Amino acid sequence: MNLKQFYKLLLFIVLIPILSSCFEVIEEISMKNDGTGDVVLTINMSQSKTKVASVMLLDSVQGYKVPSKQKIQQELNEAVAYLKKSEGITNVKSTADFNNFIATISFSFKDVSNINNITKNILAQQKIKATNTSSYSYNKVTKTFKRQYQAIGTAKTEFNKLKPKDKAVFNGATYTSIYRFESPVTSSTNPASNVSKSKKAVMLRSSITDLINGKVNVSNSIQLSK
Amino acid sequence: MKKILFSFSLLLLFNLAKAQDLVKKIPANAFTVATIKGDNIFKLMFVKDFNESFVGKKLLEGTSKSLDKNFTTIEDFGINLDKNMYYFNQLTDSINYNCFLIPLKDATKFESLINNKDNRIKATGDTKTMVLPDSTGILKWNNNMLYFVNGSIKSNFFADSAKSARYGIKDIRFQNDEATLVDSAAVAVDSAYVTTADEPMVETTAAPPVKVKAKPKTVTKKAAKKANGKKKTVKKKTAAKPKQEVEEEVMADAVMEAAEAVPAAERVNADYDLYQQERAEQDARKKRLAFTWITAQAEQIFNGSYQSIESNKSYTGSLDSKAIAELWVSSLQDVYNAVAPEFGTYGKSGMMKGYGSLNAKLFMDNKSFRISTGLELAQEQADSYKKIMNKKLNKNFLKYVNSDKAIGFMSYAIDTKAYLEELPTLMKQTYGSLVGARMDAEMDLGADLLSLLLDEEAVSKVIKGDALFIINGLNSKEVTYTTYDYDDDYNQKEVVKTKKETLPDFLFMFSSDDTRLINKLIKYGVNKNFVSAEGNIYKIVEKKSPIDIYFLIKDGIVFFGNSLTEIQAINSNRVNSQISKTHKNLLSKNNFSFLFNAKNLVGKVPASEIGGEETAKKFNSTLEKMGNVYMKSNPIKGRLVSADISAEIPNGHENALKYLFSLIENAAK
Repeated sequence: MNLKQFYKLLLFIVLIPILSSCFEVIEEISMKNDGTGDVVLTINMSQSKTKVASVMLLDSVQGYKVPSKQKIQQELNEAVAYLKKSEGITNVKSTADFNNFIATISFSFKDVSNINNITKNILAQQKIKATNTSSYSYNKVTKTFKRQYQAIGTAKTEFNKLKPKDKAVFNGATYTSIYRFESPVTSSTNPASNVSKSKKAVMLRSSITDLINGKVNVSNSIQLSK
Repeated sequence: MKKILFSFSLLLLFNLAKAQDLVKKIPANAFTVATIKGDNIFKLMFVKDFNESFVGKKLLEGTSKSLDKNFTTIEDFGINLDKNMYYFNQLTDSINYNCFLIPLKDATKFESLINNKDNRIKATGDTKTMVLPDSTGILKWNNNMLYFVNGSIKSNFFADSAKSARYGIKDIRFQNDEATLVDSAAVAVDSAYVTTADEPMVETTAAPPVKVKAKPKTVTKKAAKKANGKKKTVKKKTAAKPKQEVEEEVMADAVMEAAEAVPAAERVNADYDLYQQERAEQDARKKRLAFTWITAQAEQIFNGSYQSIESNKSYTGSLDSKAIAELWVSSLQDVYNAVAPEFGTYGKSGMMKGYGSLNAKLFMDNKSFRISTGLELAQEQADSYKKIMNKKLNKNFLKYVNSDKAIGFMSYAIDTKAYLEELPTLMKQTYGSLVGARMDAEMDLGADLLSLLLDEEAVSKVIKGDALFIINGLNSKEVTYTTYDYDDDYNQKEVVKTKKETLPDFLFMFSSDDTRLINKLIKYGVNKNFVSAEGNIYKIVEKKSPIDIYFLIKDGIVFFGNSLTEIQAINSNRVNSQISKTHKNLLSKNNFSFLFNAKNLVGKVPASEIGGEETAKKFNSTLEKMGNVYMKSNPIKGRLVSADISAEIPNGHENALKYLFSLIENAAK
């Protein structure tokens, strides 16, 4: 038995219980009054790093192919390259930390609507069907920031088709969105969202499963003081 | 005198009972025989208990409903539950028979299961016959037994035009020139095999002998299905093709006339319809032929005289009076050869030479379920394996098994030297025919070269051939991770937090008399910074690995493990493990063993790591319901290699069968 096979046997035993893992998805948008702004997207799998590191040593797990570090890096680079070409998008950067398994992509936009199609197109490039329709808008005159989100029904049915042990992967995974503004917020329509002490930031946290199942809707309409 | 008479009559009774066993009805050339032993089953569970069980109730309710009758016990079906039920199959080059033999106690009760029986049952003396509505199977019974046979025609037999012509059947393909189609349609008129459901025995004279050829080159049912499936796709492909062939000049007159009148595409459609029609006709003819054959086969089983499977020593030798169910397959080599033609060029016959009959037995008692499997080898092979298996696990390994904590272990012991010496022979026997008979000399040469290159003796000193892998429990350790905190203004701050993670402590060991090579490897590793040393204990420096791995060489044993404390304890002789007697026997008496002790895992994995309280609860309750599961290989007896898999049942259950029923009931809830 060579060392790799040995690892595999061991990992198999470790992984047998259930592949539940905690990961965070964070979306941060800083809006300026003139409608321009910055976005930072973060995926943090650090809490499950032992498991992720174990899985990365395998070729496939529960019937899914495990991408290599190179493959992940390559796909990240492709996403960056795509963003750079996109209209109204500048200053694109990405980081990938393969010790803690944290990846980020950040960029600036001319208008918040520039990002509307980006996620969908990136997913389409990776041949992943979008699970929601989401759009952002900012009205400079009325100073209203809007996020419209509609979970696609098929996402829920597709998710429910997964085997329980595959679904378990999403247990404990969280989604956080933070929107920052230069002017104070006067109202935020989503009851699950919180406005910060300074009134210049709005945060919403939810579990990924609730999001997929449509239990939580992240649509929001934020009114800034004029 | 009374006593003598009594014992005599007992003996007579016993013999009588035995004589009635339906095994007598299974022909000697049966390929597979499966047995369900009613008496052993209903010893574990009374018929009354069965009727009242969840499964029993469902069965009775279901049958009552579908037949619009009221059954209260499975005895109402008329089956003799104290006797053995059999399934067997016979393979020939043209048809495969699937047959069931079921003992009857009360034929009238059985007949009451048949709706509209007066029209469907035909009686000849004691024997009654019923044909399934689609003529694919025949039921035949008398007061003691019920026989069911169904046959599946072998498509590759009829692909041979010479053979199929004998039965007035043509193998037609759409690509055939149309002349053949028309021609064969004309031939189709005289079918010698017209039989109807009401008169199943019209043309028995036309049936081929039921006797099976000594070496059947047939496929199993599954493979046959696969072949049919393949054929279908081919058909579709060719159906799309003919456009190119429309211009072909050679055509039968009939088709030609039609062709002149209609445009090309329609003509192709018409051809295809004709082909479909012709194909359906040929299929119907094959079906009729199959029916004739199964009719004859059923007649033979019922009234013919022939040698029974009891004359087959391999079969009788495989039986065990305590088994609940048994399966016997005449020869693995034959199974392979039967399936081989389906693999095309890859399936060269002659592979798996030397592998004989295969058997499996299921046992259930008050402690466990057990499946015992055996494979008969040719003498030469058995001798090779005997040499390889002539090895026991290093006794010193047992010191490191902690039965109170062990979640599982796996061990094996083979004689490396014998293995390396026998390997070429075994390879040649198993795969020799794959490279062809003409390669024999090359195979021999290869075998000799291997022996020349490898010093079997030297290799066997470095790796003696025994190894043990144990998981001696779980350990939680603290790990750090990165996450984010947010201040009042939701500004993100990266923070490092800690959490506990549970990992199994594993220990792997193998014996080595000559550790010089391993020492050299270690030295090389240290030089190249793959390995760091701390006294005798080495650590593998591998950044990618989520866990640390340590190793140690001590007293001719090489240890690997992820628990530094355990390795340190071994190094300083502080190991204080107690092995139970069962575990000791399992490990020391068998060449291969495996154990999974679910109970030692119950409640050991924190809920947070399995995915929440609810999942954890389910996980633990499943584990609690599991007893020990183990596997072991048995010593080779004669030419038979065998292995057992057992699963113990938890306390509080009378026996394995009742436990199984309770599991089914729980699962259905």
